[in-house]
Amino acid sequence: MDAIKERLNAIPSHMDYKGQKLAEQIFQIIIIVFAVVGFAWGYVCEQFVQTVYILVAGFILSCLLTLPPWPIYRRHPLPWQKPRDDSKEIPQKESKKAGGKKKEKSK
Amino acid sequence: MNTVLSRANTIFAFTLSVMAGLTFCCFLTTSMNDHLSPIKIDVNKIIVKNVQDFSTTRDKNDLGFITFDLQADLQHLFNWNMKQLFLYLTAEYTTPNNKLNQVVLWDKIIRRGENARLDYRSLHSKYYFFDDGKGLRGNQNVTLTLSWNVIPNAGTLPRISGVGSKTFQFPDEYTPGNARI
Repeated sequence: MDAIKERLNAIPSHMDYKGQKLAEQIFQIIIIVFAVVGFAWGYVCEQFVQTVYILVAGFILSCLLTLPPWPIYRRHPLPWQKPRDDSKEIPQKESKKAGGKKKEKSK
Repeated sequence: MNTVLSRANTIFAFTLSVMAGLTFCCFLTTSMNDHLSPIKIDVNKIIVKNVQDFSTTRDKNDLGFITFDLQADLQHLFNWNMKQLFLYLTAEYTTPNNKLNQVVLWDKIIRRGENARLDYRSLHSKYYFFDDGKGLRGNQNVTLTLSWNVIPNAGTLPRISGVGSKTFQFPDEYTPGNARI
């Protein structure tokens, strides 16, 4: 089980913020366009079920386009600061912030 | 929106909202229909008997038998927001006991796509035409009307009366026991 979980977690699913916004706009536009077209088509051929089918097609298409984290959604990565290579100093700094008492206890 | 599952949830919820909106628009496109249609009813044979209605009392009640013709073209009533029509033929009359009696004699379901051009001759009623007393013999004013319920995909369930009815009268004498029409 753990191996499976690790593998699942290893699959990248992350989008950056602009990518998330883009994905949302894309699926909203797709679904609304399919809804309008489906409504017109269903009205013409007098079958409401055709409207529903076309809307479901739009749902599937937008799932394909926006569920996987395609590269287009990952073009604006956050400018994280580089991790500092001062791992030895970290315990000292934390103890300073925590105050005197904790410092004594922790040591 | 940052994981696959939350995106799937958002898309699904949005699709459902849009579908609800579409369904409401579908209802709006047909909400102005009056669903009216002319119909033609004729009554052929009319007899009335006095027999025991086993389901209620030991007394004898009036039981009417009629055969009727029915012509109606309901094809134009169907639209994309109608699943089926439920037709029912009602007899309405007044007796000394009750100011208004309504008895459903016959009904029919027409689904979408089935033939909605009705042309029946000498149709027997489906259900017994029992009065709850002796009010049928010699009744001068019995009115047959055809009404229908519209069963839509979305929206209201209107109950419509067809344009056109037939008034007839029952004979003054009972037909003896075993006679049939």
